Amino acid sequence: MFPAILIEDLTKDYPVGFWRRRHYRALDRLSLSIEAGEVFGFLGPNGAGKTTTLKLLMQLIFPTSGRAEILGRPIGHVDARRRIGYLPENPYFYDYLTAEELLTYFAQLLDVPTAARRKRVAGLLDRVGIGRERRFQLRKFSKGMIQRVGIAQALLNEPDVLFLDEPMSGLDPLGRRDVRSLILELRDQGRTVFFSSHILADAEALCGRVAVVAGGRLAAEGRLSELAEFTARGWELVVANLAPEALERLRPLATRVTEIGTGRYTLELPLTQAPERIIPEIASTGATVVSMNPVRETLEDFFIQRITEAGTGARGAMAEGEHARR
Amino acid sequence: MRAVRHIALNVFRESIRDRVPYNLVLFAVLLIGSSFLLAQLTAGQDVKIIKDLSLAAASIFGLFIAIFIGIGLVSKEVERRSIYSLLAKPISRPQFIAGKYAGLVLTLAVNVAVMTVAMYAVLGYLTWIESPDFKASWEAPGPDPALLKAMFLIFIELMLVTALALFFSTFSSPLLSAALTFGLYVAGNFNTELRNFEHVVDSPAAAWGARVLYHVLPDLSAFDVKTQVVHGFPVAAGYLWSTAAYGAAYIAALLLAAMYIFSRRDFK
Amino acid sequence: MIKVLAACGCLAAAVTLQVWRDGAFPRRHPDIARLLYVRSPAAVGRLALGFDALAADLYWIRAIQHYGGDRLNRDQPRRYELLYPLLDLTTSLDPYFNIAYRFGAIFLSEAYPGGPGRPDHAVALLRKGISAQPRKWQYYHDIAFVHYWSLRDPVTAAGWFRRGAEQPDAPNWLMPVAAAMLTQGSDRVSARFLWHQIRDADQPWLRGRAQHALRQLDALDDIDHLDAIVASQPRPAEEPFSWSWLVRLRALRVVPVDPAGAPYELDPATGRVTVAKASPLFPLPQLMVPIR
Repeated sequence: MFPAILIEDLTKDYPVGFWRRRHYRALDRLSLSIEAGEVFGFLGPNGAGKTTTLKLLMQLIFPTSGRAEILGRPIGHVDARRRIGYLPENPYFYDYLTAEELLTYFAQLLDVPTAARRKRVAGLLDRVGIGRERRFQLRKFSKGMIQRVGIAQALLNEPDVLFLDEPMSGLDPLGRRDVRSLILELRDQGRTVFFSSHILADAEALCGRVAVVAGGRLAAEGRLSELAEFTARGWELVVANLAPEALERLRPLATRVTEIGTGRYTLELPLTQAPERIIPEIASTGATVVSMNPVRETLEDFFIQRITEAGTGARGAMAEGEHARR
Repeated sequence: MRAVRHIALNVFRESIRDRVPYNLVLFAVLLIGSSFLLAQLTAGQDVKIIKDLSLAAASIFGLFIAIFIGIGLVSKEVERRSIYSLLAKPISRPQFIAGKYAGLVLTLAVNVAVMTVAMYAVLGYLTWIESPDFKASWEAPGPDPALLKAMFLIFIELMLVTALALFFSTFSSPLLSAALTFGLYVAGNFNTELRNFEHVVDSPAAAWGARVLYHVLPDLSAFDVKTQVVHGFPVAAGYLWSTAAYGAAYIAALLLAAMYIFSRRDFK
Repeated sequence: MIKVLAACGCLAAAVTLQVWRDGAFPRRHPDIARLLYVRSPAAVGRLALGFDALAADLYWIRAIQHYGGDRLNRDQPRRYELLYPLLDLTTSLDPYFNIAYRFGAIFLSEAYPGGPGRPDHAVALLRKGISAQPRKWQYYHDIAFVHYWSLRDPVTAAGWFRRGAEQPDAPNWLMPVAAAMLTQGSDRVSARFLWHQIRDADQPWLRGRAQHALRQLDALDDIDHLDAIVASQPRPAEEPFSWSWLVRLRALRVVPVDPAGAPYELDPATGRVTVAKASPLFPLPQLMVPIR
């Protein structure tokens, strides 16, 4: 059984400069393998090479070197495209069409049988929460609604593999929750989802595995829980109605206590203090636990650290490209 | 083939939504208004002037549509990135080019057809109200079927201009494409001058250069039979078909080149 | 790659069709090609939408092409009928189009087949130039020249030369020329002098024309000389006049040729010497032929 997506040494150089052509390496020998049925998070800060990778997979740009396969077929094969869906980053669609017309047009291009077309278009629009507005021209749509239409069009052919470039961008919290549940639903149907994001929380909520790219290079790959960089370093508790004497009892356990308001405190606990034991203790003093979160390195911290480690990756890559040209 | 058809129909729908057919209203107003005015001003020559006017207007309005929409066909999709989700569908890039081209040609065909009908309607009316004395002074009958020959070649010419616009827009900016297309349109219309160049200049190198340009540039002046038709001179069927075949071959060359360039292009 | 080859193939097919069609259906009814749609300078000015100078340039190029085409194209009768309207449009769109006036002055007045032979048009064009730039001595000079050379009217010519001499920057030789006009109207010295002035102008078109006129003047001198030789010999009794007769008498060593290289013609009956009709110098200007 072949992997759903196979990427081998994929590299992309962009020429820069008008007179003296140099090369900027946007993606540097990326290799990944994604199994069928996986939800795979492709993480990285802006400009890390996420969109470049997705465009390479969609054959919107052509690789400088390396290769990739989708469902066992080399990318660019028209038949492979029948079985994939793609949501571009900040999608834009013909603004003279209504949402309904756009999906119908794309369904025609995907050879969705006429009988099934109407039902599928209506069903998908319902699923992404476009109601009466489906009869409006897209020029009247907000960014978030366009994003929803974009997700709907990616699902028109009931794809086996889905590529979503920043699916959460432009969505309000409600929308983000909808998309999360949609992705999980797709996973349950056995589809492969490959999505890019620069928000760790999205990845935590959805992914089995992630890859982190920075400066065009693969920085880390694996299960989020296994990536040492992302294991928790402690806990953060927000407590309300905490009596002063109870606070004094808790103070030695905490690494840091911050007062937010009257009776409201943030307690930072080391990893050794398991919250399971402390929470009953707090509850017994009559105080209430408002929230509890693991404290760990954020994705942003991780990116920054990785980029500096890579010797400011992008510039290093450019020098290399220049060298290669000589 | 089905994909090409769907893309073409979408282009047609876009031109309707972008209110391209308004130019037909303008055309009708121009024609009816001027025929009304001319009837009072010119002695029996109004039919000739209406013919001149409608052929010229069909040509110029069509030119604007061909250049401005033709250039936007591809470049707008790339610029606004609507092409990303489109090309992720099972469509090849040559199919995309072919569909876009076919769609605009369809728009132009409808446009030229409606203009032709309007022209014949006005000419028919003028012939009907005119006295027989005036009609005797006409070089050609009022609703002359030969006008269709001129309209036919205008349509082929517009197809060629569209192909030019599409070709340029696959690799250069919209503004530059418009300038290049318009430049070639003008140069192509001065083509006969290029052919006569060898009678005017002494230098064989200049004459040879002019000859090469005459063959390589689109020979748009060949599509202009407006004057002959209006004055009732004959236009041979062979001329008509060979010029149309020339147009078709030239268009095919442009489209193939456009497909070749577009298929290798990165959408950054 | 296949697409590139196919594109080249299609282009080749297009050119083949074009060549075949041009052979099978020669394009352009001559009457249609020679139409000038708008002749009114005012209308053209409006149509030019403020690009008057550019439109003037285009009409100027058309004028040159029209003139050159008619002059070089031997297949059709030369007519030059658009030369004046084209130059008129050019100078109306750009009244300071210097060379258009001067070109018009020289070539409009030139006799058929070298030009349309319309000195009246030449004068009208130059008068327009004077109304635009009244201080330009060259226009007065050119009008005078047309009167002198083409209209054979040294008195009017002298008047215009004098008016030219009154303009600022006028060269000092204009006044003596005016005087010479009045005293010795038909001498070739003044003509030669004036053409020399034109030849030394910086316009190649005018230079060529002046070169031509100077050769014609040389031819006229030759003819005078040859006429004198013919007259000095005893009239042959039974024989018509011919060059071989003169060669036999050792009055000439060879058959004389004009400055353009064509043999002179000797009228067998009258013994008059003329340039051949086939000579590029034909016809010679009338003014300078001595009255006999």
